[in-house]
Amino acid sequence: MTATRAIVAPSHTADSIKTPRSRAVNVRGLPGRLITWAALVVFAVFSVVPMIWLILAPSKTAAELTSQNPFSFGSFDQYAIAWNNLMLFQDGRLVTWIINSVWYTAAIVAISCATAMLAGYALAATPLPFRRTLLMTTLIAMVVPPVALVLPLFIEVTAIGLYDTPWAIILTSSFYPFGVFLAYIYFTSSIPKELYEAARIDGCGEFGIFWRVAFPLAKGLLGMLAFFSFTATWVNYFLPYVMVTSGDILPLPVGLGVLFSATPALNPGVGATILPIRQPEIALAGLIVAVPILIVFVASSRLLVRGVLAGSVKS
Amino acid sequence: MGTLAGTLMFAPYFILLLAFGIVPVVMAFFTALKPSLANPAGGFMNYLLVIQDFRFLPALTNVVTFLVIYVPLMIVVVALMSLLLDAIQSRWTVGLRAAYIVPASISGAVAILVWYFMLEPTYSPFAGLLESVGITEGSQIWNTGSLVWIFVLMAFFTGAGNWIIVQYGSLQSIPDDVLEAARIDGANAAQLALLIKLPMIKRYLIYMAILTFAAGLQIFVEPYLISSTVYPGLADNWSLNQLAYSFAFQSANLGASAALSLMLFVVCVIAALIAIFRTDFFEDVRSETRKTRRAARRAGIPAGSAL
Repeated sequence: MTATRAIVAPSHTADSIKTPRSRAVNVRGLPGRLITWAALVVFAVFSVVPMIWLILAPSKTAAELTSQNPFSFGSFDQYAIAWNNLMLFQDGRLVTWIINSVWYTAAIVAISCATAMLAGYALAATPLPFRRTLLMTTLIAMVVPPVALVLPLFIEVTAIGLYDTPWAIILTSSFYPFGVFLAYIYFTSSIPKELYEAARIDGCGEFGIFWRVAFPLAKGLLGMLAFFSFTATWVNYFLPYVMVTSGDILPLPVGLGVLFSATPALNPGVGATILPIRQPEIALAGLIVAVPILIVFVASSRLLVRGVLAGSVKS
Repeated sequence: MGTLAGTLMFAPYFILLLAFGIVPVVMAFFTALKPSLANPAGGFMNYLLVIQDFRFLPALTNVVTFLVIYVPLMIVVVALMSLLLDAIQSRWTVGLRAAYIVPASISGAVAILVWYFMLEPTYSPFAGLLESVGITEGSQIWNTGSLVWIFVLMAFFTGAGNWIIVQYGSLQSIPDDVLEAARIDGANAAQLALLIKLPMIKRYLIYMAILTFAAGLQIFVEPYLISSTVYPGLADNWSLNQLAYSFAFQSANLGASAALSLMLFVVCVIAALIAIFRTDFFEDVRSETRKTRRAARRAGIPAGSAL
């Protein structure tokens, strides 16, 4: 059983993924179990506390944030008050940023998933020239972090003339080698060759095979591709920050950075302003960035149950 | 016909690969040879100038220190937590795993925001913990000496959860029979974990280490945001990427910026090549393309299809 297949396409590997592991191999003995559970729970508490704080913070006023218990709940009205205060910043610029983030992310997810799935399928199931080279290039591109290319991309985008446009962000972020790799693994391992052959015997062309055979069976793959693409794109700061400078084109994370420097919420010395944007307001802004990802993570708990890559492909 | 269809399907991604994967690297290579105020002659002197810049060595030291703490920490804690998770069979582990992935939604700008408050005793839910180690003011934490620990904490907090889930998933692919056989031979849970399970997921851990290293090398957002907005000047040019950014946007020295970016990029590519060709993580992908080429040659058909 090889590494990549094991992690991505467990349908061929041990049934132990489908059946729960035997209890006999667990920790036995009370002290052992207590220590194990304690460690697991403590780590979970540390993981969750900051998010709980972030969710509760905008419900309090700035004064209450320091005087009351960090886990106390203020009032629902405070959320509305904090939101209205945020709207005072550059005449509701926050809404522009939210809209930008939504449509940039939608475009990027659509383009990246479509191109990745087609390319992965082409690598897996069609006679593509230079397959090995393309595959190796994709592997390398996948392991090199995208951040590495931000400054060279800036140079290129400025040369092309796309600087300070949404397309600078959208097109550069749509390059999705990891998606191609996932699709390649999926189409070579989770769909039996017999299906492709049967379709060919029935006279299907390559596009037909993809559209009628492969794509309908790839719903799980599409979910995974969209998941990874969305979570990477929504929070991205460095690339949009460098590609765009006009305030009304910024996506939300970059806008959040603008709020840091333009308001006294985090540092009273920086950002002199008479606007009432203080700690609860900035916490609300941060919450708006974090919540969509949180929802997506929780909603894709099926992925969590069987491990991010293993199992969900064949759901 | 199949070749044409395949090429057409691959084309959109290929255009993106060329345009935003390969061309920027080539352009950066040529930009790094351009002349600038500091280097009127241009050429490879730019690389030398970058290395000799007074900010380069401190930034390199910072990033190396960061990696030396961060990567081993990730390996140890992620391995430990996923092994612990695997040693307990209970429906509560789903809840635990959901908890571990929550921090991954707090990254970049939001992480700065959250950690500013988490490390400020006036606001923090961890105030009791902080006070017990003698920290009563934020300024005791936010100083140049502890910066590397703060960034490690942020990067770990955001990244650990995802990797715990992935390694837990890879642990699930270990067949039960192996573990039960060891059990019968008298192994206790700790021995099972360290002597059986751990070696079997070694390749996944190595892969994670390489990815974590490559990503950590490129750290930018956290030190940049802290230094430009929250505590001005605290972490200016702390990381190598920040220095590259400063070259481009403060000194208008695109040549130096491109040179430094390329140096970081080359290190990441070397790491990628090690991950692909020196570990066996991608063994099946490499061997399959080799196998099908050989088989195709033997059968006398054009080598291109994996099937």
